[in-house]
Amino acid sequence: MTIQQRLKEILVVELNLEDFTPEQIDDDEALFGGRLGLDSIDALEIVYQVEQTFRIPMKEMNEARAAFQSINTLAAFIEARLRS
Amino acid sequence: MKIDFTHRQSAHCESGVCSNLLHHYGLDISEAMAFGMGSGMFFGYLPFIRINSLPLTTYRCEMGGIFKRVTKRLGCQVHWQKFRNPDKAMAALDEQLEQGTPVACRTGGYWLPYFPPAFRFHFNMHNLVVYGREGDEYIISDPVFPGPESCSRRDLLKARFALGAMAPKGAMYYMKKVPQQVDMAAAARAGIREVCRRMLNTPGPVIGIRGIRFLAGQVKKWPKKLGEKRALLYVGQLIRMQEELGTGGAGFRFMFAAFLQEAASLLETPHLLDVSKTMTDVGDRWRKFAVIGGRLCKGRASAGDNYETMSTILQECADGEFAVYRELLKIL
Repeated sequence: MTIQQRLKEILVVELNLEDFTPEQIDDDEALFGGRLGLDSIDALEIVYQVEQTFRIPMKEMNEARAAFQSINTLAAFIEARLRS
Repeated sequence: MKIDFTHRQSAHCESGVCSNLLHHYGLDISEAMAFGMGSGMFFGYLPFIRINSLPLTTYRCEMGGIFKRVTKRLGCQVHWQKFRNPDKAMAALDEQLEQGTPVACRTGGYWLPYFPPAFRFHFNMHNLVVYGREGDEYIISDPVFPGPESCSRRDLLKARFALGAMAPKGAMYYMKKVPQQVDMAAAARAGIREVCRRMLNTPGPVIGIRGIRFLAGQVKKWPKKLGEKRALLYVGQLIRMQEELGTGGAGFRFMFAAFLQEAASLLETPHLLDVSKTMTDVGDRWRKFAVIGGRLCKGRASAGDNYETMSTILQECADGEFAVYRELLKIL
């Protein structure tokens, strides 16, 4: 499973996105301000899930915001952290 | 006209402004170090102060306190000014810019046009640096954004004179003198001691460690006392204050941990690294608290995600922080 697929599963399952399946989430679509309807409280949950799933600490929410443009940007952030 | 000022993104506006201004004048102090030297760590649950008609919770010291204490402890001279007249406030800003002085301003966040819509709400404790002007557009170093921003005179004036709780009243501040030789170790020690004193010894039930415990007692009563709907509003406000607004609890706990890590080297006290680790663990507990609160707000709570659990975690945070501050006083 790719990081992108895992992230989409997290979005659907942990954030209770009942109207979407992971396959329906585009890798480049905006996570916030778009059709997914996510907000800052959801961002907090995503940070927590990324920390738990990938063991990558994200202590600063500013850092999280930069990575949270899309599934692809978040995956790139995670990959970079895993490499380092 | 644009001053040669280096914008650097930071986690928190006041400590970011502080770090960036000192950097401009040749003192390369990280945001975490500025936060620590300025005794930024704090906690207060202040139900008698309302933001958006909900209680204020602050996870950091009073507005302006970080900057005041850092500059005092490093021997800097700072000019502070508030205004009744908005035009005079803008004229004073322009005068300093023309003299090549970057100026920090306190503003409301709502009227700053570059704030994303999701983060635009009435909150009047934001800090930024103005370091240029091109016609009616001001060049701004807003530390919580990745790059410089611009803001029209009209919007900046509105932001500087935003109404509501903690109104900024045109407040601006800038450096008049910055010494090149400073005693950073002494400033760091003083910063730590004051945090310990405030968190351990401030009288009253709503401040410091006692405040965290007080909030823990309140949280588990909210559903019954306030009703489910209002309880969720209270929780949502807590989370926003903690994670988003720069009054942030978990964010500041992590920042203080980072400061302690730097201080271990600065003060040649390796044991501070252990205390730093403990503080990071406390920050993780604060974040778990916020995550559970978020789940309640969003209606996706699972077994164990409830007000009682949140209360328990808060008590753990209080215990953890109590141990940290007691240890710091022993070390220093």
